Amino acid sequence: MQPIQRRVLYGILLLAGLVWIFLSADKTGASTAGRIPAPQKGFLAPEISLYTPKGEKYILSKLKGKAVLVNLWATWCPPCRAEMPTIEKLYEEYKDKGLVVLGVDTTSQDNPLDIAPFLTQYSITFPILLDEVGSVAQKYDLRSLPSSFFISRDGTINDIVIGGPMSEALLRTRIEEILK
Amino acid sequence: MLTLFRNLLAPPRDLILIVVAAWLGLSLAETRAARYNVNAEALNNLIFASLLAYILGGRVFYAAEHLSAFTQSLLSLISLNITLFDSWGALVAAVITGLAYAQRKKLSLLSTLDALTLFFAALAVGLGFSHLASGATFGRETSLPWAINLWGAMRHPAQIYEIIASLLTLGLLWFRKANSKPGSDFLLFVALTAASRLIIEAFRGDSTLVFWGLRAAQLAAWIIFAIALFTLELLKPKTTPIIAIEEEIIMPIKTEGKKVKSTTGKPKKKSASTKASKT
Repeated sequence: MQPIQRRVLYGILLLAGLVWIFLSADKTGASTAGRIPAPQKGFLAPEISLYTPKGEKYILSKLKGKAVLVNLWATWCPPCRAEMPTIEKLYEEYKDKGLVVLGVDTTSQDNPLDIAPFLTQYSITFPILLDEVGSVAQKYDLRSLPSSFFISRDGTINDIVIGGPMSEALLRTRIEEILK
Repeated sequence: MLTLFRNLLAPPRDLILIVVAAWLGLSLAETRAARYNVNAEALNNLIFASLLAYILGGRVFYAAEHLSAFTQSLLSLISLNITLFDSWGALVAAVITGLAYAQRKKLSLLSTLDALTLFFAALAVGLGFSHLASGATFGRETSLPWAINLWGAMRHPAQIYEIIASLLTLGLLWFRKANSKPGSDFLLFVALTAASRLIIEAFRGDSTLVFWGLRAAQLAAWIIFAIALFTLELLKPKTTPIIAIEEEIIMPIKTEGKKVKSTTGKPKKKSASTKASKT
């Protein structure tokens, strides 16, 4: 190809690129328009409506305005057990700043009798919810335990950490991010 | 099929795909290193040193950004949490290390970049598969027949578009004839990658928008595409076709920046006296 032909081709390609950029602009102003609930960063956190072992009901959508950490765990899962003391420590430190921790026990794949001794052993004070039929595990597309969802004050998922145990620095940076 | 793939390689297992792609890319780059006059072992060491710097640099930059969190728990510095990572910082560390290693081993920058092109291209394919497994870089909603069900809606399979584009780029680079101009293979890779991002970004549902709903990644890709084309043009040899009338062939002659006076008429034949004087 002659240099002049090549340069004309490059010019056409660049011009076509510019046209494409303007044609494909997102007119709705938000690429995840509709705020569909989905277990993915930037989406609305799927609804959680569960009971604690004491019978208290927690509904995630009613916690709007608060920063929420949803931690899915089970008593038999070693990394879940390992990260519990750190979650408890930071919950105590940040709860007055607006942090809520919801520890969702995947009861459908856990032994319910093991939960109470576990909570006593680790002196857990944040609410533990029982996912008896696995509805939350399904809504949050649970594939590994533990899985943690950091939800901003507006109800959108800010970050997801799959696997564990989470280190203190990781938890602290993510919590401070959702408290902003 | 797609569900099975996503279940098997859900995060953090999706990183396996990137590791496999890096290994394949390294093998491909090694086999082609000789074409660019780059020592395969030196190339291997350069990639290893850069990858190490990428991993360490990512953690160090992240810790520097969140100093207060790390001062309260110093052990977190050696935590196995892969999300305690700053990708841009990691990239800076890898590039600096790569440049330092190349300079120390006296490797030509452009030839080394050419030799690394297949590694980068294979890595891009692995990244596409990793995105498909994790559901990241998802597409916008559509009713097209090939839409996939992801994150609560039928969406463009943007990750599959990404894989196809990366595979095409890899294939084109693999089957490309040897080019004498150092840097041209790398620039072609940059141009193709930027062009594919420019096109595919339009189908994504997670774009960062700037003014008038324009997508930031598309603007960045267009600028990179333009720079790559411009630099490719600068690398092209300046040629002037000279017609050798008697032999009826067209011979491009490299002028190397010098002007060539136009010659009309037949090429001069060597006279007998000239031949004699030479002998």
